[in-house]
Amino acid sequence: MVNATRLDLANEFLDAIQKGNEEHADEILVMIAAERESRLFEEIGKLTRELHDSLASVQSESDLAGIAENDIPDAKERLNFVIEKTEDAANRTMDAVEDILPVSETIRTRAGQLQEEWSRFQRREMDVSKFKKMGNELVDFLDELNSNSDKIYTGLNNILMAQDYQDLTGQVIRKVIEVVQQVEDSLVGLIRATGVQAGPRKVVSEIEAEGPQMNVGNKYNVVNGQDDVDDLLSSLGF
Amino acid sequence: MNKDMKILIVDDFSTMRRIIKNLLRDLGFTNTDEADDGQTALPKLEAGSFDFLVTDWNMPGMQGIDLLKIVRAHPDLKDLPVLMVTAESKREQIIEAAQAGVNGYVVKPFTAGTLKEKIDKIFERIETPA
Repeated sequence: MVNATRLDLANEFLDAIQKGNEEHADEILVMIAAERESRLFEEIGKLTRELHDSLASVQSESDLAGIAENDIPDAKERLNFVIEKTEDAANRTMDAVEDILPVSETIRTRAGQLQEEWSRFQRREMDVSKFKKMGNELVDFLDELNSNSDKIYTGLNNILMAQDYQDLTGQVIRKVIEVVQQVEDSLVGLIRATGVQAGPRKVVSEIEAEGPQMNVGNKYNVVNGQDDVDDLLSSLGF
Repeated sequence: MNKDMKILIVDDFSTMRRIIKNLLRDLGFTNTDEADDGQTALPKLEAGSFDFLVTDWNMPGMQGIDLLKIVRAHPDLKDLPVLMVTAESKREQIIEAAQAGVNGYVVKPFTAGTLKEKIDKIFERIETPA
């Protein structure tokens, strides 16, 4: 169906040309072009509004801004907290172990010495003065054992208590999983709303560092434990 | 294999460096130094006098694999025995490290026994004439 305004303008143009009125004909041409332009702008305006509305609805449903401003920095902080807590627990545990090891080594050595002496006594290879000496050494050993046992007990308790990080880090990690889930949902919504197509997947180079592997059993390109590493290397002649 | 040999331990996590240092001490190796990245390790190695390098792969500044390649190409360091101790376990990575001249590859988590075994094996090979 022909636009009435255009038809009028076209007739007027024709009329002006026929009458040799060049100036007026130019004016009409400008008006026709302007009319077309304004319709184009109207279309663009309509599309822009539609896109804006659709993005706004995605935004309000998923609160992307909120996620970016609050939840993601919060998640980063939480994960740093996990690193700190686990590092702290590892160090506390190793501190306790470093306290206990020399103590247990001392006990072992001294007990070994006393055992030897006792065997000599049983084989009747010990005279009275040596026997008395052994008696004193035994008393010393038992005293030491008492205080060393305390040290060991304390150390072991410290190790036990150092495991308290797991519950805290577990809770924190769960919260981060929630945030990741929200981000995933929002991104899916956004992709749907804007009709963005998934591009070709970024290929991770086979030698790029990835940290510890998950679900190793399902991955053909990952080895499963030191034995597999050794087998792979010897099969290649290394 | 000299128990007094000077060993450089390179890992970006201080807890892992501590573990390895302790395990080495239990094996009788008390002459150890540490670096937290390939980048900080290199000047230490170049300053000289290290007999053994134990390094992680995944480090933010310079990765262990790159440190290894630089060491093997370096006139003063090319024969330095290198043991990688890492969580990286893709087949291609293990092959890459072997081809770059690593002397041993231990994956995390590992046991004290494995560490000892690999160190012994490295120095056995070095000291046995081919």
